[in-house]
Amino acid sequence: MASIQRFWRIQGNVLNLIATKCSNCGYVSYPPKAACPKCGSRNVEEIKLPGRGRVVTYTVINVPIKGFEDSTPLLIAIVEINNARIMCQLVGIDENMLKKGLTGLEVEAVVRRGNPTLDNAIPYIIKFKPASQGR
Amino acid sequence: MVKVGVAGVGMTKVGKLVSRSLRELTSEALMKAIDDAGGVKPDAIVVGNMLSSLVEQENLASLIADTAGLRGISGFKVEGACGSGGAAVLAGYSLVASGLFQVVAVVGVEKLSELPTPDVTRGLAWAADADYELIHGVSFSGLNALVMRNYMKKYGVSREEMAAWPVLMHENGYHNPYAHFRKRITISDVINSVTIADPIKLYDACPLSDGAAAVILAGSDVVRKLTDTPVFIAGVGNALDSTDITSRFDITSFIASNISTKQALRNAGLELKDIDIAEIHDAYSITAVISLEEIGLAPKGMGAKYVAEGRFRPGDRPAVNPSGGLKSRGHPVGATGVYQVAEVVMQLRGDFPGVKVGGDVGLTQNIGGVGSNVTTIILRR
Repeated sequence: MASIQRFWRIQGNVLNLIATKCSNCGYVSYPPKAACPKCGSRNVEEIKLPGRGRVVTYTVINVPIKGFEDSTPLLIAIVEINNARIMCQLVGIDENMLKKGLTGLEVEAVVRRGNPTLDNAIPYIIKFKPASQGR
Repeated sequence: MVKVGVAGVGMTKVGKLVSRSLRELTSEALMKAIDDAGGVKPDAIVVGNMLSSLVEQENLASLIADTAGLRGISGFKVEGACGSGGAAVLAGYSLVASGLFQVVAVVGVEKLSELPTPDVTRGLAWAADADYELIHGVSFSGLNALVMRNYMKKYGVSREEMAAWPVLMHENGYHNPYAHFRKRITISDVINSVTIADPIKLYDACPLSDGAAAVILAGSDVVRKLTDTPVFIAGVGNALDSTDITSRFDITSFIASNISTKQALRNAGLELKDIDIAEIHDAYSITAVISLEEIGLAPKGMGAKYVAEGRFRPGDRPAVNPSGGLKSRGHPVGATGVYQVAEVVMQLRGDFPGVKVGGDVGLTQNIGGVGSNVTTIILRR
């Protein structure tokens, strides 16, 4: 469970999918870093990732952490967007899709309510849902 | 640098020890270790612990020292998530190697049975990135499940092959009187156990354990006076990776495990083929498998297959986790790295009370987070 202050601080990065790209070697990092994880250069720029990507890996969590007891089972994925990967909850997935497996599924970002903060406020975060067709 | 040896070791039984407090556990382990080292009084104490804040107790070094009759000595706590114990041994080693102190006690302790499971799983998830991972509700098991699914797909590893590790650990731990679980299991027990975080099953995961372990470190001259069976710390290594798993170059690789192993071996002037026994950090089946590969005991993608083929058992070289590992001995989080060192010391001395494998050189590897803070220690008889 996070404080409301934490969400207030990170909302810009979280809602806009802000990553950092190294101007020296090109490595893209999400979460954003103050220096490049690959070459160490401090010459990194913030970039906005597009809200569309593919599921690389996922899990269904049955034993929750405190604050997520009512969100179980919880579907968490790592989504690859261009050369970055971000962790998120997946929504709009039915039993059949889960049975077939989600790896490689094309997904798009949506703004959704997150779980309540320590002070019982409702933050907004980015989750991903199956991408709409024909785009 | 002063050559550092282990003069004594002590540990409590690992388990869900509801009736025992943090101070009782640490006093028992520390006093046993002091007795094992001929009753020497340490000049300093280094404490390995991750989550004592869950039991509303910080300031551990003074609490533990004072409870054991050591008021007035030096000390502090070291934290590196589940790798806190190994990092504490490294810190204690450097205090002696530097010449700052002659005798240093390293005590690892964790007390997890105090609170309901969601509080504990939340605490363990503090090893992850709070801003970018934890806000989504991911548990520590969930993070490892993301890695496990990706690994199995990438390398074509079957569910049965992944299950060979916990079966081996429960066989080894069955003989260890200190172990959390002393129960043999089968491949089908693993596969049919409840799912914690798909694809991680209950028997892929280590238990939430209480326990404390201690080792007494001293310069080689002092150690030789204190014990007839000295074991020396030949080399140490520690390396860090990202806290988050998403910005990794490859989420199925633990670069910190690889780097810290090479560092420790180089430091010791030894090669991997010299290792007779290893105690590695199998928080989950996938953690063990990737560690085996990063240490260099199996090629990438072959760790689980090697275990399924029957390697790493007592009698093989190296024998891996004759204690039963985190899976069966248990995982008293911040104490685990100290247990590993104490167990390998006893193996090399020949007085480990469980499966005996013997040998001259041992390796311990303790991991914090999902491979993000890794300490490797080489011990030599």
